[in-house]
Amino acid sequence: MTPMLRRSADVFRRLARRKGAMLGLLFLAMLIVMTSLARWILPFDALTPDFTATLQGPNRVHWFGTDELGRDILARVVYGARTSLITAGGAVAIAAVVGVPIGLVAGFFGGWRDTLLMRLVDVLLSLPGILFAMTLIAVLGRSQTAALVAVGITGIPSFARITRAQVLSLRKCDFVTAVEALGGSAAYNMFSTVLPNSWSPILVQVVILSSVAILIEASLAFLGVGIPPPTPSWGEMLRTGKTFLYDAPTYAVLPGVVLTLTILSLDTIGRALAGVLADRHENVNTGDPAAGGRS
Amino acid sequence: MIGFILRRLLQLLPVLLLASTGIWAMIYAVPGTPIGTIVGENATPEQIQATIVRLGLDQPMAVQYWSWLRHALVGDFGLSIQNREPVLDLIVHRIPATIQLGVSATVVGLMLGVPVAVISALRPGSRVDRWLSGWSALALGVPTFWLGILLILLFAVYLRWLPSASAYVSIWESPWQALRNVLLPAVTLGVYVSGIFARFLRASLLGELRADYVRTARSKGLPERDVVGRHVMRNALLPFVTIVGLMMATFIGGTVVTEAVFTYPGLGRLLIQAIHTRDYPLIQGCILFILVVFVLINLAVDVLYAYIDPRIDFS
Repeated sequence: MTPMLRRSADVFRRLARRKGAMLGLLFLAMLIVMTSLARWILPFDALTPDFTATLQGPNRVHWFGTDELGRDILARVVYGARTSLITAGGAVAIAAVVGVPIGLVAGFFGGWRDTLLMRLVDVLLSLPGILFAMTLIAVLGRSQTAALVAVGITGIPSFARITRAQVLSLRKCDFVTAVEALGGSAAYNMFSTVLPNSWSPILVQVVILSSVAILIEASLAFLGVGIPPPTPSWGEMLRTGKTFLYDAPTYAVLPGVVLTLTILSLDTIGRALAGVLADRHENVNTGDPAAGGRS
Repeated sequence: MIGFILRRLLQLLPVLLLASTGIWAMIYAVPGTPIGTIVGENATPEQIQATIVRLGLDQPMAVQYWSWLRHALVGDFGLSIQNREPVLDLIVHRIPATIQLGVSATVVGLMLGVPVAVISALRPGSRVDRWLSGWSALALGVPTFWLGILLILLFAVYLRWLPSASAYVSIWESPWQALRNVLLPAVTLGVYVSGIFARFLRASLLGELRADYVRTARSKGLPERDVVGRHVMRNALLPFVTIVGLMMATFIGGTVVTEAVFTYPGLGRLLIQAIHTRDYPLIQGCILFILVVFVLINLAVDVLYAYIDPRIDFS
């Protein structure tokens, strides 16, 4: 594990030199600490209504104001981070667990397996992601699981394609041929030789897709097909806040600031990571021509 | 050329067939049958049975699928459960609004994105380049629905210049009213898409600027304006056409969120209403329609690209 650790340390050191990525990491760390410790550091919880204090603007007691039921918006934003991060994490995990093996098999074997698997991926791509997720939720009904699975499935194609591209470039390498010549099984070759050399682009994709997953989850909630209330969710808050633009304008503004900062942080970190790995001359194919070098 | 198009169409068939099967099958995956939604809650068992027979739901699955597919092929998606109108009519009715928004958004996106890309590509790594790259990241990162809310707050709630909810007014009938209504949603979507345009065109321009013919043009003393304007731009715009086309395709069905923010009566809003009222024939019709249009525009973009770039051969 030592070379792996040394490599991680080097990647992190290079990442730390990029201001944007550091700011993003700092913001995410703050968000995670706050949402984990919410019960102890916040004076209000996210669900208790207070009908004597509805639709307040930001004030000394309620820093972000209150919603139409008198619930503390800051508390709902902080607990909403949990909803967002859990959905995004779960969705990306689903996408990677399904997508990476698809790309691995398709790229390694080629032939009919490649054609079949990539056609299936094309079907997923035949609709814009958000529409696909909406359709799935129309079938499954609204729930945390439905949101997670729907967002996860929309991420499968990018993992499959990126892994496949990476495998195709490794397939001709001598060390892969060597394992084959020594009689290593295809499964052994794929998972123990090819996959460990494909982590860099997959890792970049994990970070970038997390930001996309958070955006899709929030969009679904905004459309009223996300995780059902009363679970606090940023998209749902913006949806309700939009109906009170005249009475409490900050209601629809502040949760959006946190949502946007979260998305931007993840995106900046992902791009910086791609840049760092490219600087280390690791083969990173993010599928986006602008993502790699900074030239 | 014709062969190329036909071959691409043939390749699309399995994709379309699989997707349509999925769309048809979704009604069977719904917990509880949609019959309840169709006949209403107080129906007697006899009424339910009559409806099942009338809709052919007692037939074997394969027969049902074939009948559905045969009708869908000629654009007959059945009647909407909610208001008993043919699904196709409801869809067709919304198309002009969606196209008007999609085209306006693309125009805004080009007006913002192209200058950003050109300026930053001409001075890569400079301070201006970094600021403009930051702008692209911001344009892509800000959720469209939140940007829409901010614009409504500023221009409708505080300044009272523009309406907070956008109706559809045809640009051909009343250009001024149409502009007032479509401006905010178009800017909202346009800002987002300008980020995509800027990133791709910048990358494409940088790639071209490194090419040998640029060095040749410069070394024979051509003014930089001509090098960029006449040589680089032309070549860089080629792949860019693909992106613009793809975004237009996405806009046909993908403006759901923006339409929801501005309560704009487009195709996306029809779909989301159908989902909220569990109007399955309408959901199926919308999705299938969007899918076919999306796939066909993608194909058209491919063909156009091959047509304008003589280096691509059709075989």
